[in-house]
Amino acid sequence: MDKYWTKYRVVIIITVFFVGFYLLSIQFDEWFTYTMPRHQIIQLPLMFLLGVLLAQAFHSWRVKDLGWAISGLIFIFSSIIFWMLPHSVDKAVIEPEFNKLMHVNMIISGALLVAIYRELIFEVKIFFLGMLSAKLGAAGVIMKVFNLLLCSSFDIRQQKETGNYFIFLALVIFISTIVVFFRMPSIKSRERSNFLGY
Amino acid sequence: MKLKTVIIPLITLGICIAIISKWTHGFKAFTIFSYSLEEASPLNKEFPEIQLINHDSVLVNLNEDPKYKLANFVYLNCPFVCHKINNQLEKVYHSIDTLLVPSQIEFVTISFDLDNDDVERIRNYRNHFKNIPGWEFAIPYEVDEQEFDVFLKNIGVWIYKESKNRIINHSTYIYLISPDNKIVKIFDPEREDNNSIVTEINEWINTGQNIASL
Repeated sequence: MDKYWTKYRVVIIITVFFVGFYLLSIQFDEWFTYTMPRHQIIQLPLMFLLGVLLAQAFHSWRVKDLGWAISGLIFIFSSIIFWMLPHSVDKAVIEPEFNKLMHVNMIISGALLVAIYRELIFEVKIFFLGMLSAKLGAAGVIMKVFNLLLCSSFDIRQQKETGNYFIFLALVIFISTIVVFFRMPSIKSRERSNFLGY
Repeated sequence: MKLKTVIIPLITLGICIAIISKWTHGFKAFTIFSYSLEEASPLNKEFPEIQLINHDSVLVNLNEDPKYKLANFVYLNCPFVCHKINNQLEKVYHSIDTLLVPSQIEFVTISFDLDNDDVERIRNYRNHFKNIPGWEFAIPYEVDEQEFDVFLKNIGVWIYKESKNRIINHSTYIYLISPDNKIVKIFDPEREDNNSIVTEINEWINTGQNIASL
């Protein structure tokens, strides 16, 4: 089994990637854009994870330079912010082409994150996760607390529900970050860079 | 630390901020409603001409009316928000000095649902409101959908018709139009309370009267 996995790893991963892309971006796109939680909590993160999956096929994808790595993280963070803006959400629901742009952007962001994390120092990895958690938490609170409809394509009930899920996601990422951070106090810097196996 | 380590991220940050800034009209418009309004920038511009027909089957042209007009846009199959806004407007109407309505200011509610709303429907809808002389309910008259879409876009009203049902997503802004046909104030009824709307309307009308008397 291991022998086949090693030999055909790239082919298997790329096949799963394309099947996943077809299902998420084409076959079930309408289902995903039907409600706000499906669009923001399921489709958007799954597209990101597809990018992460794709990067597993190519271990040579590494961003070694710190300047470019930080730039990549800024790009990823900005992409997430952009696609969570109410204007972007509405546009993605109304225009399928714009929604496809979101899918491609998220895939690139996911793959880029893996490439960056493989060489990034531990402290910056933790900082990025902390910022991501804060961003998701803030977005969740705004959606939950605001009694004004932000995205015209959905309703207030869905908005508040999505807010709850964002807060939950933020807590999961935050707690995971804290657990990993405090489990590694004595590991040397180089070994700590091997965070999550990268 | 190499200069490259700082410069490249700064440039990336600058580009990302520029893109988000453009998308949100300088961080002022995060929703599609507010973006459409900012894009149109209708404030202090002339209210575009449009022929309407009111609930009494009388042709109306707002540009020819030398009074202040308070205009809002609805559709009668709206499940909730349009009626909420009109109920709010009814309270605003009854809060304004009766000497001003309808002599100085008139209310106009315009339906943008060209497919389903007609004179009879808006007449029946208007009958739900009590004692509102000077408040007209109207629909576009002999205006095709494309023309009307251009009109709405020019004043920053965003509408989107969902294909799967008869729901029309839309912005809820209320426009105060001066006697010389300029859009002088745009109210957001979901964010502003009735008292502040009434106060501003009174100020505009009184200011207009004061200037006219000089």
